[in-house]
Amino acid sequence: MTSNVASPARPGGKGLTVAIAVCAALALVGVGFWMMQLSGGLIQTGMRNLDNWGLYIISFMWFVGLSAGGLIISSVPRVFGIKGFGGISKIAIMTSLACTCCAVAMILVDLGNPLRVWELIAYSNLSSPLMWDVLVITTYFVLSIVYLALTLRNEKGKTSDAALRVVSAICLVVAVLVHTVTAWIIGLQTSHELWNTALMGPWFVCSALVSGTALVIFACVILRKVGYLKLEQAHLNNMCKMLGAFCLVDLYFFGCDLLTEAFPAGSGAAVVDMLVAGPLAPFFWAQIILCAACAVICFVPQLRRDGFMIAAAVMAMVGIFCKRVQLIAGGFQIPNISDAFSLTSHAVPNFEGTLAQAFSGMVYAPTALELIVFAGVLALGVMIFLLGIKLLDLKPNEKSH
Amino acid sequence: MARYGFAIDTVRCVGCNNCSLTCKVENNLPNEIWWNRAMTVGGEEEFTAGADSNGSLYLDYYTLSCQHCENPACVKVCPVGATWKDEETGIVRQDYDKCLGCRMCMAACPYTGVRSFNWEEPVFELDFAVGDASVPAHEKHAVEKCVMCYHRINAGERPACVDICRAGARFWGDLDDPTSEVSQIIAKRAHKQLLPEMGTKPSVYYLV
Repeated sequence: MTSNVASPARPGGKGLTVAIAVCAALALVGVGFWMMQLSGGLIQTGMRNLDNWGLYIISFMWFVGLSAGGLIISSVPRVFGIKGFGGISKIAIMTSLACTCCAVAMILVDLGNPLRVWELIAYSNLSSPLMWDVLVITTYFVLSIVYLALTLRNEKGKTSDAALRVVSAICLVVAVLVHTVTAWIIGLQTSHELWNTALMGPWFVCSALVSGTALVIFACVILRKVGYLKLEQAHLNNMCKMLGAFCLVDLYFFGCDLLTEAFPAGSGAAVVDMLVAGPLAPFFWAQIILCAACAVICFVPQLRRDGFMIAAAVMAMVGIFCKRVQLIAGGFQIPNISDAFSLTSHAVPNFEGTLAQAFSGMVYAPTALELIVFAGVLALGVMIFLLGIKLLDLKPNEKSH
Repeated sequence: MARYGFAIDTVRCVGCNNCSLTCKVENNLPNEIWWNRAMTVGGEEEFTAGADSNGSLYLDYYTLSCQHCENPACVKVCPVGATWKDEETGIVRQDYDKCLGCRMCMAACPYTGVRSFNWEEPVFELDFAVGDASVPAHEKHAVEKCVMCYHRINAGERPACVDICRAGARFWGDLDDPTSEVSQIIAKRAHKQLLPEMGTKPSVYYLV
């Protein structure tokens, strides 16, 4: 695999340092706005009693999904002893780590009382899917660090291949669990018709594979373009083919779910209406078109050029984001009890008319504050990834998988 | 061991919101927060009639608050047990001091809007506290809801909303005790429950 060994020059230089500093500054701005949110109250967000989760939980689930690709792309070849993707394993794990940090940050900014998180340890209620998720994400985060550290040691000949293989097998299982348990936070609730389906777990795993693989491709193409690594096109082609297949499986799951909801023509038909032609329709069609277009780029050999591959990866990630919007915002879009009552400013954002008017458009829309906090978390993730590139030896070498 | 619950006579209820207001005063609720509210079954606007497919008008009322379910979705999902089912009374209670503010209980509860979050520092209409002095202080970023006037039940009284109802449409008592007023009226009258298909087994019965 000598052809994959990149030039020995130190990564980055000034450009990388500046990028890290810019990301750090943006992340700090995000922290500032988060403090503002904590002091002035979550009233400054678009969330209210009848739409009590918004951009923060949407992006929490998105980041959890994004973290999948890295771990799975690096562990699957090792576990099954098949050829990898040109030694990008360490870079893939690094994307995974950065996204896990973002996911945890999203949960923290969503909490009304983040200083009480210690209660999760002191008063754990083990019947709560949220508690399961806390446990499995913590495990996942620690395992990713251990896996990356062991990979680095293994390349220096300090850890045996067998040990690394065992750890990567555990990582793979935990990665699948993370996405399933995150799905269960909503999938196990009967309260919102859109949520309560056994498909939610497998579907989350699949969406995670779509967005996660896309992120790894995105990172690898850019790192190759800036000369950080040399990567044969054949490896990217393989990843693209996987991405295309994942996109189609994800759309297939969506089709199955929509048909199951719509066919009996009962209350599920309203859910399908809301997605296909109602307030959530822009997100629904964006997801379908973006994921389908991504699959086309991934499957047509002539299109697998740098620019197109980056575009395909971005489309897949944005497409899956749109899906998360549909799931969370869409869950709240249909109230179970829609009889009229006196609305207050805490019930819904648009409380001056009737309940039906409040729900005629999207009941939830993020405020500028939420968008800035989200941008801050995103910057934090990019910063963590770039720090990894700068400080760790993530370049593929002869021993890389 | 009791299982306290309500029966709401939807035939007698006129949607006057007296119960909602009494609840608000008794529990010193902040502005914008209502633990109980009258619901209009009719037109899109409150207190307006709806028309069915034959053009006949209809107008009904009922009140909606926490259903103190036997199988509460909220209790199961709270990661720290800040909402829990009181074994002695069957009341689903809240601990503001413990609440993380994750709002999982609100997402899991199928009964639209019975749980309220204090989206900001509680603001009150009056600059002094009203209602019962033993009611816990309301907290910013904590979830709250009807706790069946736990303080009053503890003192041997009925929930405030039951005492105040001018239409005599509210009944309360131990659902496990066949001699209680609430058990007897449920035994006598036709009734329904809200969203029984959710499997939550609510402790509120609506007499029809």
